[in-house]
Amino acid sequence: MMSDQFRKVEQYSPKSSPRGARSPVVPRQDSSGTLKTTISLGKNPSIVHSGPFYLMKEPPGSAGECDLTGATNLMAYYGLEHSYSKFNGKKLKESLSSFLPNLPGIVDGPGQEDNSTLGSVIAKRPIGGKELLPLTSAQLAGFRLHPGPLPEQYRYVSATPPKRHKSKHKKHKHKDGAPPGQDTPLQDSSNPDTYEKKHKKQKRHEDDKERKKRKKEKKRKKQKHSPEHGGLTPSQHPAP
Amino acid sequence: MSSPLENLETQLEMFIENVRQIRIIVSDFQPQGQSVLNQKIQSLVTGLQEVDKLKSQVHDIHVPTEVFDYIDQGRNPQLYTKDCIDKALAKNEEVKGKIDSYKRFKSHLLQELSKTFPNEIAKYKAIRE
Repeated sequence: MMSDQFRKVEQYSPKSSPRGARSPVVPRQDSSGTLKTTISLGKNPSIVHSGPFYLMKEPPGSAGECDLTGATNLMAYYGLEHSYSKFNGKKLKESLSSFLPNLPGIVDGPGQEDNSTLGSVIAKRPIGGKELLPLTSAQLAGFRLHPGPLPEQYRYVSATPPKRHKSKHKKHKHKDGAPPGQDTPLQDSSNPDTYEKKHKKQKRHEDDKERKKRKKEKKRKKQKHSPEHGGLTPSQHPAP
Repeated sequence: MSSPLENLETQLEMFIENVRQIRIIVSDFQPQGQSVLNQKIQSLVTGLQEVDKLKSQVHDIHVPTEVFDYIDQGRNPQLYTKDCIDKALAKNEEVKGKIDSYKRFKSHLLQELSKTFPNEIAKYKAIRE
């Protein structure tokens, strides 16, 4: 049993040294040139280091080497301080939907459930390299649908995700109050110009609302402080 | 001029919006909606063409596959970035600590050696200079 084991070891032992013809016992000469050795042959061969100091190397950075080490603040060196403060300052939300608030549908569930993982796209690459052409009228005939609502089993995608707080990143698309994924009226998204205009318009609308609100408050304050009104609103004034 | 990534983001958002609209159309299909649906399907193809055109602009952007794992699990991919930054910072501090310790050790060693071997250390310093 034991001899078998040894035989096995012998079988797998390398035929040649991984270091080539070099002996691991004899140290190699220093490439820096600071090491001087005297090799004496004869009855008693020996290697004597006659240089000033054994193992003396050039200090790092002196020979024009890159001085970048862990001693430097690498975050600052690569200009990532902004990213650091961005992620360090606030507590990030766990869910994917907080990162992609505009995405319709439920995106927080694991992708394995409906085989929609990005990993599967990498593992099994889709067919590519073919030119993308618009569909012919004959091909479009395949998309002729029957009127009426969808069968029950296909309606699950219509479910809306639970309401979320509006994040600052939220840029556009959904109207106020309507959570993403909820069916908002159709708009022409194919034209980027109209797309942009719509958002600008929406923004302007919001600005107008705010401005009106501020004006109203100002007016109310003025009325309160003016001696004429004595802090009464017009409706509170006694009838003449 | 927006960046290639912003362009891609806009195109993808428009594509998603298009799909969302198709879903609304087909969820309760009306016969008069066929031409709109056809138009939307064609714009899907156009959207894919636009995304395909943009691929050359983002070919040099590398995404760690771990980010995909986060997304596939329904987690915020920014958590990965945060984790990487935290780890890098911790490692940076650790290495800096080691380097500083070695520096202190070196100066202490030199100090002690010059007490015991003053001549040799003087030679050593002369060579170093």
